[in-house]
Amino acid sequence: MQARAFNPQIFLEFLCYSAFGGLMFFLVRSGNYLFYVTPRMEPYLYFTAIVMGIWACAGLGRLFRPQYKIRSAHCLVLVIPILLLLLPHTPLSAADLSGKYIGGNAFSGFKAATGLLTAVPPENSPDPADPAADNSVVAEDFPSVLTPLPNNNTADSIVPPVPDPQTHVSEEQYSTDLPGLDVKKKKITIANEDFGVWISELYGNMERYKGYTVLITGFVFKDSEMLQADEFVSARLMMSCCAADLIPAGLLCNYAKAAELKTDSWVTVEGTLFIGKHIYNNVAYDDPQISVTKITPAEEVKGYVTPY
Amino acid sequence: MAIPIYVVTGFLDAGKTTFLNHLLNRRDWRDVRMMVMQFETGEEDFQSRYGNCPCISFSKKMLEQQPAQIVEKIRSLLQSRELDELWIEWNGVVPFSQLQALLLHASLRNLCKIQKVIHIADGGKIENLLGRTGGALPEQISTCDFALVRNVPSAKLFKRIRHLLKGINPGVKVIEMKSYNDLYKQLFVKKGRPVDIAFQTVLLIVALHFVLKPLLEIAQIPVNTIINVFLGIMLQAVPFLLIGVLLSSVIQVFVPQNAIERRFPKSIRLGMVAAILAGFCLPVCDCASIPIFRSLVRKGIPLPVAVTFMTATPVINPVVILSTYYAFNGDMTIVISRVCLGIAAAVSIGLILGSWAGKGRVLSGGTLDQLMCSCGCYEDAESITTFRGKVGLFIRHSQGEFFSVGKYLVIGIFISSVVQTLGTGLFTTAQSGSGLAISMVIMMAMAFVLSLCSSSDAIVARSFANQFPMGGIMGFLVFGPMMDIKNVMMLSSGFTKGFIAKLVLTGFIVCFALVFLFYSRGGM
Repeated sequence: MQARAFNPQIFLEFLCYSAFGGLMFFLVRSGNYLFYVTPRMEPYLYFTAIVMGIWACAGLGRLFRPQYKIRSAHCLVLVIPILLLLLPHTPLSAADLSGKYIGGNAFSGFKAATGLLTAVPPENSPDPADPAADNSVVAEDFPSVLTPLPNNNTADSIVPPVPDPQTHVSEEQYSTDLPGLDVKKKKITIANEDFGVWISELYGNMERYKGYTVLITGFVFKDSEMLQADEFVSARLMMSCCAADLIPAGLLCNYAKAAELKTDSWVTVEGTLFIGKHIYNNVAYDDPQISVTKITPAEEVKGYVTPY
Repeated sequence: MAIPIYVVTGFLDAGKTTFLNHLLNRRDWRDVRMMVMQFETGEEDFQSRYGNCPCISFSKKMLEQQPAQIVEKIRSLLQSRELDELWIEWNGVVPFSQLQALLLHASLRNLCKIQKVIHIADGGKIENLLGRTGGALPEQISTCDFALVRNVPSAKLFKRIRHLLKGINPGVKVIEMKSYNDLYKQLFVKKGRPVDIAFQTVLLIVALHFVLKPLLEIAQIPVNTIINVFLGIMLQAVPFLLIGVLLSSVIQVFVPQNAIERRFPKSIRLGMVAAILAGFCLPVCDCASIPIFRSLVRKGIPLPVAVTFMTATPVINPVVILSTYYAFNGDMTIVISRVCLGIAAAVSIGLILGSWAGKGRVLSGGTLDQLMCSCGCYEDAESITTFRGKVGLFIRHSQGEFFSVGKYLVIGIFISSVVQTLGTGLFTTAQSGSGLAISMVIMMAMAFVLSLCSSSDAIVARSFANQFPMGGIMGFLVFGPMMDIKNVMMLSSGFTKGFIAKLVLTGFIVCFALVFLFYSRGGM
């Protein structure tokens, strides 16, 4: 004997599962999930949507099973995220996170990694005038881990920027097909979607791109504690895990009239790459920097950069 | 009009009939037309003093074999007599849902309606009965509107019983049976409808969002940032929590109770090896390992082994190893250090806790066994034998567990997002120019607050590599996945406060000591 009566708790749970699962699906399809987490989460979010869907279907079968004690408080676990996702809120922008600049090192600075190996702060690296010493570290100790980019072996057409045999070897390994790279004109045009790739490439192989002209779009980041008056960072927000760890990251620019630039305004910077020193906690780090020749206002770029 | 039904539940000899004798023979109730229906014959008989309350009884045998006849009997009674109230004394070993099925039968549904369900417990026995007498008793407790406890000599015992009952039926009112006055109030208090309450809460949140948010933003509190951070961690954690509750429910439902106990290595040493191997094979983060930990402890795995499993899994699993490898540019030293220190810390924490906390109460449910999964499904996992039935139970179990752990996850993430939005600057400011020990404490505190998912915390750790020495980074990498705000909140869904405090303290000290020793000697 099975009695039947409408069960509001099951119905409420059904609504929550469907709404949450549907929302997950919609977030991934529309790409809006990138405002909260990194692209790596995509399969996991699909998985969540599927489990929620199965749960909702399983609930349907019990929709008319009577239950005397009806509970609803537990549904808040799903209701709260659903409401917060649906209610209007704006993605985080630079202004929300000022004062957290970490340089490009979080991407893949080799210098920091070498420092970590020995658990001492990195020494002030060799004189830029002596690139061979520095390159040997780059090329030998760290083979192609960092930039597993396609290699078309067109190295013959490439003019190595530094006439050094060891760099030439690494030249063959890297950077043949990087988007926006024009070796002949020694020019790099960094498209917005390649920001992350290029920052890690520049930090990883700063010697190779010395003297290149670079075009990069970002917001103006200034910090009186870390940066000089004639410096600013052409930055984008970088997310390595989720919205909780957004930090501005980008290339440091030297510009005499930096003070005139409005903080957090979007600009396209054109300038020449060189290796400068970035001093943090009394330790100097090598840093690819831009000597600015031209600044044009730019449209705001939506979305965050991922360090992969 | 439907006749209101009041149901009294409680185990055999809990004192149900005594209670009815007291309650229904009140002088001022003598004009109320009542009837008592007993589904159990205990030692005491119901006797109506004023003759306004006849009594009929059905045996358990009849309940099992001829439910249709009972329905028919009730129907004719309800139709032939004009009753104001019907009181039912339900059988102590039959689930409440059976009574519900009887009363919702097509021929009865419009005649009567359950008004209140009162559970009666004998303070001297209830603790021993729960968990040893099948699923009916917790099921009855979980559906009552309020519980009466009689025979409680000390306030301490009452507190313990109240905790126990609330663990099974959250939010239930527990009353000591001394005076009946409190009881009358409870009997006739109007119940809010939970579904209405749910919709009111939704409206309240929406209203708060539009009213409070602008106000707080005027007060310089970045609500928008908090919401984004909250959603970020939430979307990161929910999939892994789902993996966790699904695996944990598989253990609870499909693995027979004694299989793990029988097959699992008897010696602690072999158990530890098994725990670490299992941890290595499970590609889950800390959100997933806690529900699994809970079901392992329930299934009788020795505590040191279970603790080792829980603390090791989020540090040493393949996803974490890979993400650490990429975050540190393929630096194997860091990957190996993290895994080795993680294993060493997990084993030490397990051993220390095993001897320190093993004797006290660990599970907050106390003596309850696998029936009590606080998930609201009280069917005995052993009694359902068909595969279909098991799958159904598995789904309900995982849903229940998702909500019970998820509740704490939401609270934990909320605290974490508020704290880190309002004050991470503190951590990096405190760092400037301090030694290894202080850096480590700062980094470990930061890991605790940030509550990052262990599958991707390596990249965040990496971003601090310039400000902090390697020891600090390693403290972050080893301690963070084991313990953080979100984990502590999630643990409180199943464990006692004392146990959680011991776990956090031991975890912190062990991780600190190991990493400090390792790096103050110059690392690898």
